[in-house]
Amino acid sequence: MVSSNAPRDPAPAHAPAHAGRLIRAVEWLVLRIAAAWPFLTFFVGFFLFWEYAVILFGVPGYILPTPSEIVTRGWADIPRLLDYTLVTGTESVLGYLLAVAVGLPIGLAIAFSPMLRRTLYPFFVSLEMVPKIAFAPLFIAWLGFGLLPKVIIVVLVCFFPVALNAIHAFGSLSDELTRFCRSTGAGPLRTFWKVRLPAALPQCFVGFKYAALNATVGATIAEFMGSDQGLGFYISIATGNMRPDLAFAGIFFLTLLGLALFGCVTLAERLLIPWHISQRRH
Amino acid sequence: MAATIEIKSLSKTFGSGPQAVHAFGPVDLTIEAGSFVSLLGPSGCGKSTLMLMVAGLLDASEGAIYFDGERVGAPRTDIGIMFQDNTLVPWRSVEGNIALQLELRGLDPKPYAGRIRDLLRSVKLEGFAARHPYELSGGMQQRAAFCQALVHEPDTLLFDEPLGKLDAMTRESIRTDLQALWMARRPTVVFVTHSIEEAVQLSSVVCVVTPRPGRIERTIEIDLPWPRDMEVKASPAFTRYVHDIQGIFRDYGVL
Repeated sequence: MVSSNAPRDPAPAHAPAHAGRLIRAVEWLVLRIAAAWPFLTFFVGFFLFWEYAVILFGVPGYILPTPSEIVTRGWADIPRLLDYTLVTGTESVLGYLLAVAVGLPIGLAIAFSPMLRRTLYPFFVSLEMVPKIAFAPLFIAWLGFGLLPKVIIVVLVCFFPVALNAIHAFGSLSDELTRFCRSTGAGPLRTFWKVRLPAALPQCFVGFKYAALNATVGATIAEFMGSDQGLGFYISIATGNMRPDLAFAGIFFLTLLGLALFGCVTLAERLLIPWHISQRRH
Repeated sequence: MAATIEIKSLSKTFGSGPQAVHAFGPVDLTIEAGSFVSLLGPSGCGKSTLMLMVAGLLDASEGAIYFDGERVGAPRTDIGIMFQDNTLVPWRSVEGNIALQLELRGLDPKPYAGRIRDLLRSVKLEGFAARHPYELSGGMQQRAAFCQALVHEPDTLLFDEPLGKLDAMTRESIRTDLQALWMARRPTVVFVTHSIEEAVQLSSVVCVVTPRPGRIERTIEIDLPWPRDMEVKASPAFTRYVHDIQGIFRDYGVL
């Protein structure tokens, strides 16, 4: 029976709950980093080995520079490196966001439309087999050296992981949950918001993360093909000038960029689906 | 008011042509309002299929089902269903999962807060309202799913082997709760199980379902006193029922 004079649900107001969530997410990230000390030790050891092996065997600097050379020479060129990081970062992030903005609704449409499942889906699956990066020179030829062809190439390498995982995510609600929703008489829209969407998020994030890894790869290769700025451009010029030290500095900033992008997606996952098994703290 | 469910020459065939599988039927059965009817049979006998058809979640190939004379043509929203794999969603707390049943019906869960609390207390989960399903044991999850299936006060309850994946002690304990609930409110219950003991203990009527294609071989009224506690289960009459049903399955080559 419904008791009308029962105390109201002690649900906390929304803002503090979200703030708490953010604090927990950041705290989780810090803990993850703190737990990484064996890896960090190995990491430092690896660079020490590199440094002293190069010196010990007398490897010339134009073949393989030492990490300390990379740091000092890279530091001397830091304004340009930062500039180019911003360029490549813009291409990657724009392309990534566009791929998610297009891939998610298309994946959703395919998951729910039997017609699209028979037409677009097999088309996408076969396109998935095509190395998208092979289109890069074509897009440069069609659209020139600017931002647009790079963004398009990033979209190309990010789109498929997003779309294919979304199709899988939205198409695989368990029989029990489907039946449960039907037995309540809920319409498709309410079922979507209350059950299908949250149930699909973990699998969607598999695609988002995979795409985040692809984004900087796409941007770099696009820059190799034809550009006058960006980290890919920087690395290819440095290599041509027999300056592997600067190439390594470029690679370092590319790595930072990729880590930052992946970190943002992981943090978003942590915030959006803290209940998911991959997100639980043990 | 609990509904009387009539099943008339119902059968189900999956697929068509030479690949068609005759899963079930024809079956005729009347489930009296307020009775606890078990569909008892081995796996693959079509008892779950029958339950889904009663819920209106699966169309019949032939025949029809009537709730108080009204033919079932679409999913019925006035029933509560509990499945073997529970329908708790991992992103909601226990309380939130129970409220999901209401929200999917377009109801505001707030006025139900008291009822949700009472339900949780009745299955000994009062301290777990804010916990998430993964923080609970299998048995506690099924208890929570039980509350989810009941929160909208359905007059008819369908259970599809809800205790199938639980350990023996937990099963025993939840059976007791189930029985208490049924005795208190007397909803019409259709209970799918493959445990003979469970069927005899809980049911007013046991339908013995034999496999391929599933048919109701025998309908047995269980004339034992309520509540069917340990003493009743130890009685010769109880053992007799279990023994007789075992005999039916043995004759069918199931046991």
